[in-house]
Amino acid sequence: MSVVACFKVVPDDTSVRVIGGKVETNVPVKISTYDKNAIEEAVRVKEKLGWKAIGVTVGNTDRKSIRDALSMGLDEVVAISAGYLDVAGTAMALAETIRGISPKLVIMAETTTDSSTSALPPYLAQILGYSLVSYVRSLSIQDSSITAERSVGDVEVVEAPLPAVVSVTGEINTPRTPSVKQIMESAKKPVKQINFSSQPLAELVEVQPFVTTRKKVIIEKPMNEAVDQLINYLKGEGVL
Amino acid sequence: MRVLVVSEDPDFFRSSSWVAQQLGGEILGIHPSESRYVDKVFVPKLEGAWELPLAEFASTLKPDVVIAGGTKRDRTFAFSLAGKLRSSVASDVIDAKLEGSSLMVRRPVYSGVGIATLRLKLPAVITVQKNTMEPNLLKGEVERVDLPRSVITLKERKTAQQSVSLDKAKIIVSVGRGMGSKDNVKYAEELARLLNGAVGGSRPVTAEMGWLPEDRQIGLSGNKVRPQLYIALGISGQPQHIAGIRDSKVIVAVNKDKNAPISENCDYLVVGDAIEFCKVMIGRLSK
Ligand SMILES: Cc1cc2nc3c(=O)[nH]c(=O)nc-3n(C[C@H](O)[C@H](O)[C@H](O)COP(=O)(O)OP(=O)(O)OC[C@H]3O[C@@H](n4cnc5c(N)ncnc54)[C@H](O)[C@@H]3O)c2cc1C
Repeated sequence: MSVVACFKVVPDDTSVRVIGGKVETNVPVKISTYDKNAIEEAVRVKEKLGWKAIGVTVGNTDRKSIRDALSMGLDEVVAISAGYLDVAGTAMALAETIRGISPKLVIMAETTTDSSTSALPPYLAQILGYSLVSYVRSLSIQDSSITAERSVGDVEVVEAPLPAVVSVTGEINTPRTPSVKQIMESAKKPVKQINFSSQPLAELVEVQPFVTTRKKVIIEKPMNEAVDQLINYLKGEGVL
Repeated sequence: MRVLVVSEDPDFFRSSSWVAQQLGGEILGIHPSESRYVDKVFVPKLEGAWELPLAEFASTLKPDVVIAGGTKRDRTFAFSLAGKLRSSVASDVIDAKLEGSSLMVRRPVYSGVGIATLRLKLPAVITVQKNTMEPNLLKGEVERVDLPRSVITLKERKTAQQSVSLDKAKIIVSVGRGMGSKDNVKYAEELARLLNGAVGGSRPVTAEMGWLPEDRQIGLSGNKVRPQLYIALGISGQPQHIAGIRDSKVIVAVNKDKNAPISENCDYLVVGDAIEFCKVMIGRLSK
Protein backbone atom coordinates (compact mmCIF):
# COMPACT_ATOMS: atom_id res chain seq x y z
CA MET A 1 0.00 0.00 0.00
CA SER A 2 1.23 3.45 -0.69
CA VAL A 3 0.41 7.10 -0.29
CA VAL A 4 1.60 9.81 -2.69
CA ALA A 5 2.33 13.39 -1.64
CA CYS A 6 2.51 15.92 -4.47
CA PHE A 7 4.63 19.02 -3.98
CA LYS A 8 5.83 21.93 -6.05
CA VAL A 9 9.09 23.88 -5.89
CA VAL A 10 8.27 27.60 -6.13
CA PRO A 11 10.01 30.96 -5.77
CA ASP A 12 9.85 31.85 -2.04
CA ASP A 13 6.67 33.93 -1.73
CA THR A 14 8.14 36.10 1.01
CA SER A 15 10.94 37.16 -1.38
CA VAL A 16 8.93 37.72 -4.57
CA ARG A 17 8.43 41.46 -4.91
CA VAL A 18 8.22 44.24 -7.41
CA ILE A 19 11.65 45.56 -8.29
CA GLY A 20 12.18 48.18 -10.99
CA GLY A 21 8.63 47.89 -12.32
CA LYS A 22 8.79 44.13 -12.73
CA VAL A 23 7.82 41.13 -10.60
CA GLU A 24 11.16 39.65 -9.55
CA THR A 25 10.77 35.88 -9.39
CA ASN A 26 14.42 35.04 -9.67
CA VAL A 27 14.66 34.46 -5.92
CA PRO A 28 15.54 31.43 -3.76
CA VAL A 29 13.13 28.51 -4.20
CA LYS A 30 11.39 26.34 -1.62
CA ILE A 31 8.63 23.77 -1.29
CA SER A 32 5.34 25.70 -1.57
CA THR A 33 4.10 26.42 1.97
CA TYR A 34 1.10 24.10 2.23
CA ASP A 35 2.74 21.36 0.16
CA LYS A 36 4.79 20.74 3.31
CA ASN A 37 1.54 19.99 5.10
CA ALA A 38 0.73 17.47 2.35
CA ILE A 39 4.13 15.80 2.82
CA GLU A 40 3.69 15.79 6.60
CA GLU A 41 0.26 14.17 6.30
CA ALA A 42 1.63 11.46 3.98
CA VAL A 43 4.47 10.75 6.41
CA ARG A 44 1.95 10.44 9.25
CA VAL A 45 -0.02 7.89 7.19
CA LYS A 46 3.22 5.99 6.67
CA GLU A 47 4.02 6.05 10.39
CA LYS A 48 0.55 4.99 11.42
CA LEU A 49 -0.30 2.38 8.79
CA GLY A 50 3.10 1.32 7.49
CA TRP A 51 2.34 2.39 3.93
CA LYS A 52 5.09 3.50 1.61
CA ALA A 53 5.16 7.31 1.22
CA ILE A 54 6.21 8.54 -2.20
CA GLY A 55 6.68 12.17 -3.20
CA VAL A 56 6.02 13.41 -6.73
CA THR A 57 7.08 16.85 -7.90
CA VAL A 58 6.62 18.45 -11.31
CA GLY A 59 8.40 21.46 -12.77
CA ASN A 60 11.50 22.78 -11.06
CA THR A 61 13.35 19.75 -9.62
CA ASP A 62 15.64 21.68 -7.29
CA ARG A 63 17.81 19.12 -5.48
CA LYS A 64 17.81 20.84 -2.14
CA SER A 65 14.02 21.09 -1.99
CA ILE A 66 13.73 17.40 -2.88
CA ARG A 67 16.21 16.60 -0.09
CA ASP A 68 14.00 18.64 2.28
CA ALA A 69 10.99 16.54 1.31
CA LEU A 70 12.90 13.28 1.78
CA SER A 71 14.27 14.47 5.13
CA MET A 72 10.71 14.91 6.37
CA GLY A 73 10.23 11.16 5.94
CA LEU A 74 9.18 10.35 2.38
CA ASP A 75 10.70 7.05 1.17
CA GLU A 76 11.41 8.23 -2.35
CA VAL A 77 10.67 11.04 -4.77
CA VAL A 78 9.78 11.01 -8.45
CA ALA A 79 11.03 14.30 -9.92
CA ILE A 80 9.39 15.23 -13.21
CA SER A 81 11.34 17.99 -14.96
CA ALA A 82 9.27 20.25 -17.14
CA GLY A 83 9.29 23.79 -18.43
CA TYR A 84 6.15 25.91 -18.23
CA LEU A 85 3.18 23.64 -17.62
CA ASP A 86 -0.40 24.69 -17.03
CA VAL A 87 -2.78 22.86 -14.69
CA ALA A 88 -3.86 20.45 -17.43
CA GLY A 89 -0.25 19.61 -18.29
CA THR A 90 0.74 19.19 -14.65
CA ALA A 91 -2.24 16.90 -14.08
CA MET A 92 -1.24 14.77 -17.10
CA ALA A 93 2.36 14.54 -15.87
CA LEU A 94 1.27 13.54 -12.37
CA ALA A 95 -1.35 11.08 -13.62
CA GLU A 96 1.18 9.20 -15.74
CA THR A 97 3.46 8.66 -12.76
CA ILE A 98 0.72 8.07 -10.21
CA ARG A 99 -0.96 5.39 -12.37
CA GLY A 100 2.34 3.53 -12.29
CA ILE A 101 2.42 3.69 -8.48
CA SER A 102 -1.30 2.89 -8.05
CA PRO A 103 -1.56 4.36 -4.52
CA LYS A 104 -4.56 4.26 -2.20
CA LEU A 105 -4.31 7.94 -1.46
CA VAL A 106 -2.89 11.06 -3.12
CA ILE A 107 -2.35 14.05 -0.81
CA MET A 108 -1.87 17.56 -2.22
CA ALA A 109 -2.19 21.09 -0.85
CA GLU A 110 -5.27 23.26 -1.35
CA THR A 111 -3.15 25.68 -3.37
CA THR A 112 0.40 26.79 -4.13
CA THR A 113 1.92 30.19 -3.41
CA ASP A 114 2.93 30.96 -7.01
CA SER A 115 -0.13 30.52 -9.20
CA SER A 116 -2.66 29.66 -6.45
CA THR A 117 -5.23 28.26 -8.88
CA SER A 118 -6.53 25.50 -6.53
CA ALA A 119 -7.50 23.53 -9.63
CA LEU A 120 -4.97 20.72 -9.67
CA PRO A 121 -6.45 18.36 -7.03
CA PRO A 122 -9.96 18.17 -8.56
CA TYR A 123 -8.53 18.10 -12.11
CA LEU A 124 -6.15 15.26 -11.26
CA ALA A 125 -8.85 13.30 -9.41
CA GLN A 126 -10.97 13.36 -12.58
CA ILE A 127 -8.13 12.20 -14.79
CA LEU A 128 -7.24 9.38 -12.41
CA GLY A 129 -10.89 8.48 -11.79
CA TYR A 130 -10.31 8.67 -8.01
CA SER A 131 -12.73 10.23 -5.55
CA LEU A 132 -11.92 13.72 -4.29
CA VAL A 133 -12.14 15.53 -0.98
CA SER A 134 -10.90 19.12 -1.04
CA TYR A 135 -9.88 21.55 1.74
CA VAL A 136 -9.30 18.81 4.31
CA ARG A 137 -8.29 19.90 7.79
CA SER A 138 -8.36 16.50 9.46
CA LEU A 139 -8.17 13.04 7.98
CA SER A 140 -8.60 9.45 9.10
CA ILE A 141 -8.26 6.32 7.03
CA GLN A 142 -10.34 3.13 7.21
CA ASP A 143 -10.00 -0.09 5.17
CA SER A 144 -11.60 1.14 2.00
CA SER A 145 -12.58 4.70 2.77
CA ILE A 146 -11.50 7.95 4.39
CA THR A 147 -13.32 10.25 6.77
CA ALA A 148 -12.35 13.87 6.45
CA GLU A 149 -13.28 17.19 7.94
CA ARG A 150 -13.33 19.91 5.27
CA SER A 151 -13.07 23.66 5.72
CA VAL A 152 -15.26 25.22 3.05
CA GLY A 153 -16.59 28.21 4.98
CA ASP A 154 -18.91 25.70 6.64
CA VAL A 155 -17.21 22.73 8.23
CA GLU A 156 -18.24 19.42 6.67
CA VAL A 157 -17.50 15.85 7.69
CA VAL A 158 -17.52 13.53 4.68
CA GLU A 159 -16.73 9.92 3.88
CA ALA A 160 -15.17 9.01 0.53
CA PRO A 161 -14.13 5.70 -1.02
CA LEU A 162 -10.47 4.89 -1.76
CA PRO A 163 -8.53 5.46 -3.92
CA ALA A 164 -8.90 9.17 -3.32
CA VAL A 165 -7.22 12.49 -3.94
CA VAL A 166 -7.37 14.87 -0.99
CA SER A 167 -6.27 18.47 -0.85
CA VAL A 168 -5.26 19.64 2.62
CA THR A 169 -5.30 23.08 4.22
CA GLY A 170 -2.35 24.64 6.03
CA GLU A 171 -4.14 23.99 9.31
CA ILE A 172 -4.21 20.17 9.09
CA ASN A 173 -0.87 19.70 10.85
CA THR A 174 2.44 21.34 11.67
CA PRO A 175 5.13 20.13 9.27
CA ARG A 176 8.08 18.68 11.16
CA THR A 177 11.59 20.06 11.17
CA PRO A 178 13.84 17.11 10.26
CA SER A 179 16.69 16.09 12.55
CA VAL A 180 20.32 16.17 11.39
CA LYS A 181 20.21 12.37 11.16
CA GLN A 182 17.15 12.47 8.90
CA ILE A 183 18.81 15.07 6.71
CA MET A 184 21.93 12.87 6.39
CA GLU A 185 19.88 9.77 5.61
CA SER A 186 17.85 11.54 2.97
CA ALA A 187 20.92 11.58 0.72
CA LYS A 188 20.63 7.80 0.33
CA LYS A 189 16.96 7.75 -0.59
CA PRO A 190 16.03 7.15 -4.25
CA VAL A 191 15.12 10.03 -6.54
CA LYS A 192 13.79 9.02 -9.93
CA GLN A 193 14.15 11.62 -12.69
CA ILE A 194 11.66 11.87 -15.55
CA ASN A 195 11.17 14.47 -18.28
CA PHE A 196 7.80 15.68 -19.43
CA SER A 197 6.51 18.29 -21.81
CA SER A 198 3.14 19.20 -23.18
CA GLN A 199 1.46 21.98 -25.14
CA PRO A 200 -0.31 24.20 -22.60
CA LEU A 201 -4.04 24.92 -22.94
CA ALA A 202 -3.44 28.05 -20.88
CA GLU A 203 -0.63 30.11 -22.30
CA LEU A 204 1.04 32.66 -20.03
CA VAL A 205 1.20 35.92 -21.98
CA GLU A 206 2.72 38.19 -19.35
CA VAL A 207 2.99 38.99 -15.65
CA GLN A 208 2.74 42.60 -14.56
CA PRO A 209 3.32 44.05 -11.11
CA PHE A 210 0.18 44.61 -9.08
CA VAL A 211 0.93 47.83 -7.27
CA THR A 212 -1.45 49.91 -5.24
CA THR A 213 0.04 53.21 -4.19
CA ARG A 214 -0.25 53.86 -0.49
CA LYS A 215 0.75 56.93 1.52
CA LYS A 216 2.94 55.03 4.00
CA VAL A 217 2.79 57.71 6.72
CA ILE A 218 4.49 56.47 9.88
CA ILE A 219 3.08 57.71 13.20
CA GLU A 220 5.53 56.97 15.99
CA LYS A 221 4.79 58.87 19.19
CA PRO A 222 3.09 58.31 22.55
CA MET A 223 -0.23 56.52 21.91
CA ASN A 224 -2.48 59.42 22.99
CA GLU A 225 -0.85 61.75 20.49
CA ALA A 226 -0.61 59.06 17.81
CA VAL A 227 -4.35 58.39 17.99
CA ASP A 228 -5.18 62.13 17.84
CA GLN A 229 -3.01 62.53 14.80
CA LEU A 230 -4.51 59.46 13.13
CA ILE A 231 -8.06 60.71 13.77
CA ASN A 232 -7.14 64.01 12.12
CA TYR A 233 -5.74 62.22 9.09
CA LEU A 234 -8.81 60.00 8.80
CA LYS A 235 -11.16 62.98 9.05
CA GLY A 236 -9.12 64.63 6.31
CA GLU A 237 -9.58 61.50 4.17
CA GLY A 238 -13.31 61.68 4.79
CA VAL A 239 -13.49 58.13 6.14
CA LEU A 240 -14.32 59.01 9.76
CA MET B 1 -20.78 30.03 -28.13
CA ARG B 2 -22.36 28.59 -25.01
CA VAL B 3 -21.44 30.14 -21.69
CA LEU B 4 -22.37 28.45 -18.42
CA VAL B 5 -22.55 30.47 -15.19
CA VAL B 6 -22.48 28.59 -11.87
CA SER B 7 -22.33 29.50 -8.21
CA GLU B 8 -23.91 28.42 -4.95
CA ASP B 9 -23.69 32.05 -3.77
CA PRO B 10 -26.01 34.86 -4.99
CA ASP B 11 -23.28 37.54 -5.10
CA PHE B 12 -20.90 35.29 -6.97
CA PHE B 13 -23.70 34.26 -9.33
CA ARG B 14 -24.39 37.91 -10.10
CA SER B 15 -20.67 38.65 -10.58
CA SER B 16 -20.17 35.61 -12.83
CA SER B 17 -23.27 36.48 -14.86
CA TRP B 18 -21.95 39.95 -15.51
CA VAL B 19 -18.67 38.53 -16.82
CA ALA B 20 -20.65 36.08 -18.99
CA GLN B 21 -22.80 38.86 -20.47
CA GLN B 22 -19.66 40.71 -21.53
CA LEU B 23 -18.67 37.66 -23.57
CA GLY B 24 -22.07 37.21 -25.21
CA GLY B 25 -23.49 34.05 -26.77
CA GLU B 26 -26.09 31.77 -25.23
CA ILE B 27 -25.92 32.09 -21.43
CA LEU B 28 -26.99 29.17 -19.26
CA GLY B 29 -26.89 29.17 -15.48
CA ILE B 30 -26.88 26.72 -12.59
CA HIS B 31 -27.95 28.22 -9.28
CA PRO B 32 -29.95 27.00 -6.26
CA SER B 33 -32.68 29.57 -6.99
CA GLU B 34 -34.28 31.16 -10.06
CA SER B 35 -32.44 34.04 -11.75
CA ARG B 36 -32.95 36.32 -14.74
CA TYR B 37 -29.26 37.07 -15.19
CA VAL B 38 -29.15 34.20 -17.72
CA ASP B 39 -31.19 32.92 -20.66
CA LYS B 40 -31.96 29.67 -18.91
CA VAL B 41 -31.29 28.60 -15.35
CA PHE B 42 -31.05 25.02 -14.13
CA VAL B 43 -32.12 24.82 -10.49
CA PRO B 44 -30.76 21.79 -8.60
CA LYS B 45 -31.14 21.07 -4.89
CA LEU B 46 -27.63 21.54 -3.57
CA GLU B 47 -27.75 18.87 -0.90
CA GLY B 48 -25.10 16.60 0.57
CA ALA B 49 -21.73 16.50 -1.17
CA TRP B 50 -23.05 18.04 -4.39
CA GLU B 51 -19.92 19.32 -6.14
CA LEU B 52 -19.02 16.19 -8.13
CA PRO B 53 -22.58 15.24 -9.13
CA LEU B 54 -23.10 18.82 -10.28
CA ALA B 55 -19.93 18.63 -12.38
CA GLU B 56 -21.31 15.47 -13.97
CA PHE B 57 -24.57 17.25 -14.81
CA ALA B 58 -22.80 20.40 -16.06
CA SER B 59 -20.61 18.40 -18.44
CA THR B 60 -23.77 17.22 -20.26
CA LEU B 61 -24.53 20.87 -21.17
CA LYS B 62 -21.35 20.98 -23.33
CA PRO B 63 -20.30 24.54 -22.47
CA ASP B 64 -17.54 26.41 -24.35
CA VAL B 65 -16.85 28.66 -21.38
CA VAL B 66 -17.75 28.01 -17.74
CA ILE B 67 -17.72 30.96 -15.35
CA ALA B 68 -18.02 29.91 -11.73
CA GLY B 69 -17.99 31.70 -8.40
CA GLY B 70 -15.11 31.56 -5.96
CA THR B 71 -16.47 29.79 -2.88
CA LYS B 72 -14.45 26.71 -1.99
CA ARG B 73 -17.33 24.47 -3.09
CA ASP B 74 -17.69 26.45 -6.35
CA ARG B 75 -14.00 25.86 -7.07
CA THR B 76 -14.22 22.16 -6.25
CA PHE B 77 -17.17 21.86 -8.62
CA ALA B 78 -15.60 23.99 -11.37
CA PHE B 79 -12.22 22.28 -11.50
CA SER B 80 -13.75 18.81 -11.30
CA LEU B 81 -15.79 19.83 -14.35
CA ALA B 82 -12.59 21.14 -15.96
CA GLY B 83 -10.95 17.76 -15.40
CA LYS B 84 -13.92 16.01 -17.02
CA LEU B 85 -13.82 18.36 -20.01
CA ARG B 86 -9.99 18.34 -20.14
CA SER B 87 -10.35 22.12 -20.44
CA SER B 88 -8.05 25.03 -19.73
CA VAL B 89 -8.50 26.70 -16.32
CA ALA B 90 -7.92 29.93 -14.41
CA SER B 91 -9.15 31.05 -10.99
CA ASP B 92 -9.79 34.40 -9.27
CA VAL B 93 -10.18 36.03 -12.67
CA ILE B 94 -10.67 39.83 -12.60
CA ASP B 95 -11.50 40.27 -16.28
CA ALA B 96 -12.16 38.08 -19.28
CA LYS B 97 -12.68 38.73 -22.98
CA LEU B 98 -12.87 36.64 -26.13
CA GLU B 99 -10.12 37.07 -28.70
CA GLY B 100 -10.67 34.91 -31.76
CA SER B 101 -11.11 31.39 -30.46
CA SER B 102 -9.36 32.06 -27.14
CA LEU B 103 -10.45 33.50 -23.83
CA MET B 104 -8.06 36.15 -22.52
CA VAL B 105 -8.11 36.46 -18.73
CA ARG B 106 -6.25 38.41 -16.08
CA ARG B 107 -5.69 37.10 -12.56
CA PRO B 108 -3.43 37.67 -9.57
CA VAL B 109 -0.34 35.48 -9.23
CA TYR B 110 2.55 35.17 -6.75
CA SER B 111 0.12 35.61 -3.86
CA GLY B 112 -1.16 38.87 -5.31
CA VAL B 113 2.16 40.55 -6.11
CA GLY B 114 1.59 40.27 -9.86
CA ILE B 115 -1.25 40.13 -12.37
CA ALA B 116 -0.90 37.53 -15.10
CA THR B 117 -2.54 37.61 -18.51
CA LEU B 118 -3.37 34.15 -19.83
CA ARG B 119 -4.65 33.00 -23.21
CA LEU B 120 -7.00 30.06 -22.63
CA LYS B 121 -8.02 27.58 -25.30
CA LEU B 122 -11.71 26.67 -25.38
CA PRO B 123 -13.36 24.97 -23.64
CA ALA B 124 -12.26 27.04 -20.65
CA VAL B 125 -13.35 26.87 -17.02
CA ILE B 126 -12.70 29.91 -14.86
CA THR B 127 -13.68 31.12 -11.41
CA VAL B 128 -14.05 34.86 -10.94
CA GLN B 129 -13.65 37.36 -8.13
CA LYS B 130 -16.69 39.25 -6.91
CA ASN B 131 -17.47 42.52 -8.66
CA THR B 132 -20.08 45.19 -8.01
CA MET B 133 -21.67 45.16 -11.47
CA GLU B 134 -25.38 44.61 -12.14
CA PRO B 135 -26.03 42.28 -15.11
CA ASN B 136 -28.93 42.80 -17.53
CA LEU B 137 -32.13 40.84 -17.01
CA LEU B 138 -32.57 38.05 -19.58
CA LYS B 139 -35.25 35.43 -20.13
CA GLY B 140 -34.37 33.38 -17.07
CA GLU B 141 -36.30 30.30 -18.22
CA VAL B 142 -36.33 27.77 -15.36
CA GLU B 143 -35.64 24.03 -15.39
CA ARG B 144 -35.41 22.04 -12.16
CA VAL B 145 -32.86 19.23 -12.20
CA ASP B 146 -32.14 16.16 -10.13
CA LEU B 147 -28.47 15.47 -9.57
CA PRO B 148 -26.90 12.02 -9.80
CA ARG B 149 -25.89 10.41 -6.49
CA SER B 150 -22.47 11.17 -5.07
CA VAL B 151 -19.93 8.52 -4.10
CA ILE B 152 -19.12 10.86 -1.21
CA THR B 153 -21.37 10.91 1.85
CA LEU B 154 -21.88 14.06 3.84
CA LYS B 155 -22.08 13.03 7.50
CA GLU B 156 -22.31 16.40 9.13
CA ARG B 157 -22.31 20.09 8.25
CA LYS B 158 -21.69 22.90 10.71
CA THR B 159 -22.95 25.98 8.91
CA ALA B 160 -21.03 29.20 9.34
CA GLN B 161 -23.25 32.13 10.21
CA GLN B 162 -22.29 35.31 8.35
CA SER B 163 -23.28 37.74 11.09
CA VAL B 164 -22.14 40.90 9.34
CA SER B 165 -21.26 40.89 5.69
CA LEU B 166 -17.59 41.77 5.24
CA ASP B 167 -18.22 42.35 1.52
CA LYS B 168 -20.31 45.41 2.13
CA ALA B 169 -18.78 46.83 5.33
CA LYS B 170 -17.66 50.46 5.09
CA ILE B 171 -15.23 50.06 7.97
CA ILE B 172 -13.41 46.87 8.92
CA VAL B 173 -11.35 46.34 12.05
CA SER B 174 -9.15 43.35 11.42
CA VAL B 175 -7.12 41.35 13.91
CA GLY B 176 -3.94 39.33 13.54
CA ARG B 177 -1.77 37.16 15.71
CA GLY B 178 -0.32 40.35 17.22
CA MET B 179 -3.53 40.79 19.25
CA GLY B 180 -2.03 38.20 21.57
CA SER B 181 -5.10 36.20 22.62
CA LYS B 182 -8.70 35.36 21.83
CA ASP B 183 -9.75 37.36 24.86
CA ASN B 184 -8.12 40.51 23.48
CA VAL B 185 -10.30 40.38 20.36
CA LYS B 186 -12.99 42.07 22.47
CA TYR B 187 -11.07 45.36 22.16
CA ALA B 188 -11.28 45.15 18.38
CA GLU B 189 -14.97 44.27 18.61
CA GLU B 190 -15.65 47.27 20.83
CA LEU B 191 -13.75 49.54 18.44
CA ALA B 192 -15.68 48.14 15.48
CA ARG B 193 -18.98 48.67 17.30
CA LEU B 194 -18.16 52.35 17.93
CA LEU B 195 -17.13 52.80 14.29
CA ASN B 196 -20.20 50.95 13.04
CA GLY B 197 -17.87 48.51 11.31
CA ALA B 198 -17.31 44.78 11.02
CA VAL B 199 -14.57 42.59 12.50
CA GLY B 200 -12.37 40.37 10.34
CA GLY B 201 -9.06 38.61 10.80
CA SER B 202 -5.97 37.05 9.28
CA ARG B 203 -5.86 33.37 8.39
CA PRO B 204 -4.03 32.25 11.56
CA VAL B 205 -6.56 33.87 13.93
CA THR B 206 -9.55 32.51 11.99
CA ALA B 207 -8.74 29.21 10.29
CA GLU B 208 -6.02 28.09 12.68
CA MET B 209 -6.64 29.45 16.18
CA GLY B 210 -10.36 30.11 16.04
CA TRP B 211 -10.26 33.54 17.72
CA LEU B 212 -12.92 34.45 15.14
CA PRO B 213 -15.16 32.20 13.00
CA GLU B 214 -13.54 31.02 9.78
CA ASP B 215 -15.87 33.00 7.56
CA ARG B 216 -14.26 36.18 8.96
CA GLN B 217 -10.97 35.39 7.20
CA ILE B 218 -9.64 38.12 4.95
CA GLY B 219 -7.05 37.54 2.24
CA LEU B 220 -6.12 35.52 -0.79
CA SER B 221 -7.84 32.39 0.50
CA GLY B 222 -10.61 34.20 2.38
CA ASN B 223 -12.82 37.23 1.80
CA LYS B 224 -11.65 40.01 -0.50
CA VAL B 225 -12.92 43.27 0.95
CA ARG B 226 -13.27 46.86 -0.24
CA PRO B 227 -14.07 49.10 2.75
CA GLN B 228 -13.51 52.84 2.99
CA LEU B 229 -11.36 52.22 6.04
CA TYR B 230 -9.43 49.08 6.94
CA ILE B 231 -7.69 48.95 10.32
CA ALA B 232 -5.17 46.10 10.62
CA LEU B 233 -4.31 45.35 14.24
CA GLY B 234 -1.22 43.19 14.80
CA ILE B 235 -1.19 41.88 11.25
CA SER B 236 2.23 41.47 9.62
CA GLY B 237 0.99 42.08 6.07
CA GLN B 238 2.22 39.03 4.17
CA PRO B 239 1.28 39.15 0.48
CA GLN B 240 -1.57 36.65 1.02
CA HIS B 241 -3.23 39.03 3.46
CA ILE B 242 -2.63 42.14 1.34
CA ALA B 243 -4.23 40.33 -1.63
CA GLY B 244 -7.58 40.56 0.18
CA ILE B 245 -7.47 44.26 1.08
CA ARG B 246 -6.09 45.96 -2.03
CA ASP B 247 -9.39 47.62 -2.90
CA SER B 248 -9.66 49.36 0.50
CA LYS B 249 -9.69 53.15 0.25
CA VAL B 250 -7.57 53.82 3.34
CA ILE B 251 -5.50 51.24 5.20
CA VAL B 252 -4.36 51.89 8.76
CA ALA B 253 -1.98 49.44 10.41
CA VAL B 254 -1.08 49.20 14.07
CA ASN B 255 2.07 47.20 14.60
CA LYS B 256 4.81 47.26 17.18
CA ASP B 257 7.31 46.50 14.43
CA LYS B 258 7.92 49.58 12.30
CA ASN B 259 9.43 47.41 9.54
CA ALA B 260 6.67 44.81 9.32
CA PRO B 261 5.79 44.16 5.64
CA ILE B 262 2.47 45.95 6.14
CA SER B 263 4.40 49.25 6.44
CA GLU B 264 4.85 49.01 2.65
CA ASN B 265 1.15 48.49 2.04
CA CYS B 266 -0.68 50.91 4.32
CA ASP B 267 -1.53 54.60 4.32
CA TYR B 268 -0.94 55.13 8.04
CA LEU B 269 1.15 52.99 10.35
CA VAL B 270 0.79 53.58 14.07
CA VAL B 271 3.87 52.08 15.68
CA GLY B 272 2.88 50.55 18.99
CA ASP B 273 0.82 48.03 20.91
CA ALA B 274 -2.48 47.10 19.28
CA ILE B 275 -4.38 46.74 22.58
CA GLU B 276 -3.20 50.11 23.84
CA PHE B 277 -4.25 51.61 20.51
CA CYS B 278 -7.74 50.10 20.84
CA LYS B 279 -8.14 51.41 24.39
CA VAL B 280 -7.11 54.95 23.48
CA MET B 281 -9.16 54.96 20.29
CA ILE B 282 -12.23 53.60 22.13
CA GLY B 283 -11.77 56.39 24.72
CA ARG B 284 -11.69 59.07 22.00
CA LEU B 285 -14.68 57.69 20.10
CA SER B 286 -16.92 57.21 23.11
CA LYS B 287 -16.54 60.88 24.12
C1 LIG C 1 -1.54 29.65 0.08
C2 LIG C 1 -1.64 30.58 1.25
C3 LIG C 1 -2.81 31.31 1.42
C4 LIG C 1 -2.91 32.19 2.49
N1 LIG C 1 -4.06 32.91 2.62
C5 LIG C 1 -4.15 33.83 3.61
C6 LIG C 1 -5.32 34.66 3.75
O1 LIG C 1 -6.29 34.54 3.00
N2 LIG C 1 -5.33 35.58 4.75
C7 LIG C 1 -4.28 35.75 5.63
O2 LIG C 1 -4.35 36.62 6.51
N3 LIG C 1 -3.18 34.96 5.52
C8 LIG C 1 -3.10 34.01 4.55
N4 LIG C 1 -1.98 33.22 4.48
C9 LIG C 1 -0.99 33.28 5.59
C10 LIG C 1 -0.02 34.45 5.45
O3 LIG C 1 1.07 34.05 4.66
C11 LIG C 1 0.50 34.88 6.83
O4 LIG C 1 1.07 33.77 7.47
C12 LIG C 1 -0.59 35.45 7.74
O5 LIG C 1 -1.31 36.46 7.08
C13 LIG C 1 0.03 36.03 8.98
O6 LIG C 1 -0.97 36.36 9.90
P1 LIG C 1 -0.73 37.48 11.02
O7 LIG C 1 -0.34 38.73 10.38
O8 LIG C 1 -1.95 37.48 11.88
O9 LIG C 1 0.42 36.88 11.92
P2 LIG C 1 1.98 37.19 11.96
O10 LIG C 1 2.59 37.10 10.63
O11 LIG C 1 2.52 36.34 13.04
O12 LIG C 1 2.06 38.72 12.37
C14 LIG C 1 1.79 39.23 13.63
C15 LIG C 1 2.16 40.71 13.61
O13 LIG C 1 1.76 41.30 14.84
C16 LIG C 1 2.77 42.20 15.26
N5 LIG C 1 2.61 42.29 16.72
C17 LIG C 1 2.96 41.38 17.67
N6 LIG C 1 2.58 41.81 18.88
C18 LIG C 1 1.98 43.01 18.70
C19 LIG C 1 1.37 43.95 19.58
N7 LIG C 1 1.30 43.73 20.91
N8 LIG C 1 0.84 45.06 19.05
C20 LIG C 1 0.91 45.32 17.71
N9 LIG C 1 1.47 44.46 16.84
C21 LIG C 1 2.00 43.32 17.34
C22 LIG C 1 4.06 41.58 14.82
O14 LIG C 1 5.06 42.59 14.69
C23 LIG C 1 3.66 40.99 13.46
O15 LIG C 1 3.88 41.92 12.44
C24 LIG C 1 -1.86 32.33 3.42
C25 LIG C 1 -0.69 31.58 3.24
C26 LIG C 1 -0.58 30.71 2.18
C27 LIG C 1 0.68 29.93 2.02
